[in-house]
Amino acid sequence: MIIAERKPFAEIKAMLAPYKKILIVGCGTCVAVCLAGGEKEVGLLASQLRLALGLEDKRLEIGEITVERQCDLEFLRPLCDFTADYDAIVSMACGAGVQFLNQLCSLHPVFPAVNTTFIGVNNAVGHYTEACRACHNCYLGITGGICPVTMCPKGLLNGPCGGTVNGHCEVDPEKECAWSRIYHRLELEGRLDNLREILPLHPHNRTTTPGTVIHPAYKRRYGPNE
Amino acid sequence: MNFTPKILAYVCTYCTYTAADMAGSARMQYPATVRIIKYLCTGRIDIIHILKGFEAGADAIFVGG
Repeated sequence: MIIAERKPFAEIKAMLAPYKKILIVGCGTCVAVCLAGGEKEVGLLASQLRLALGLEDKRLEIGEITVERQCDLEFLRPLCDFTADYDAIVSMACGAGVQFLNQLCSLHPVFPAVNTTFIGVNNAVGHYTEACRACHNCYLGITGGICPVTMCPKGLLNGPCGGTVNGHCEVDPEKECAWSRIYHRLELEGRLDNLREILPLHPHNRTTTPGTVIHPAYKRRYGPNE
Repeated sequence: MNFTPKILAYVCTYCTYTAADMAGSARMQYPATVRIIKYLCTGRIDIIHILKGFEAGADAIFVGG
């Protein structure tokens, strides 16, 4: 899922200074799981803003709403009926949600309330680690289910660099070397022969942004992908 | 000016509220500006409950559980 962190309160408050009536829009999927922008966090931000501005004798009218997914037109479109009365919109979704909302509500400024950090996993409550760089070319089948693009800070595809020390990374000695992990995992699975295969250059040309994917079944509707 | 703070007391129904009940039986007094809100367990208290308390005009919040 997408992991995000809420922006510092002072930054959010400064962004909203010129406005009198705002709508805070939460997202009920990834950012709700990582406790950054779900329904609960919408309530917290609204309450914090009311208290902080109340102390300064300022008044800010705040609307609160949370949709299932801000990156999905099906859930986002009905929101357009609510936004007309507001001066500005604050989105607590990831960057994709903020931009989709911005595209749909073209008459209002849309502000982000979270910093989107990475695609990661939920290890335990409040503990998230990066797991995928969305690199367009998955190597996990060859590398024993450990991603060299993400787990190796240098993204090396063919074995460790010279900086690996006793199975630890030179960039962050606290972390295990990704290629050391890959070796031991493949050894455990009896698939060390995989390492004899030299992986070709990573297709960085495919990672040019912004990416587009059209499902093969919908090519006639939307046109070819490339 | 004599400031009397309005205090919200978020209390556990099993321990703190029972203790307050016993204190009442012993004719002990507490200020009328303390308002008690019972929780089945104070483990249920969330930061939003505390913020809402302050938004409602509390000067302080006391949690007993």
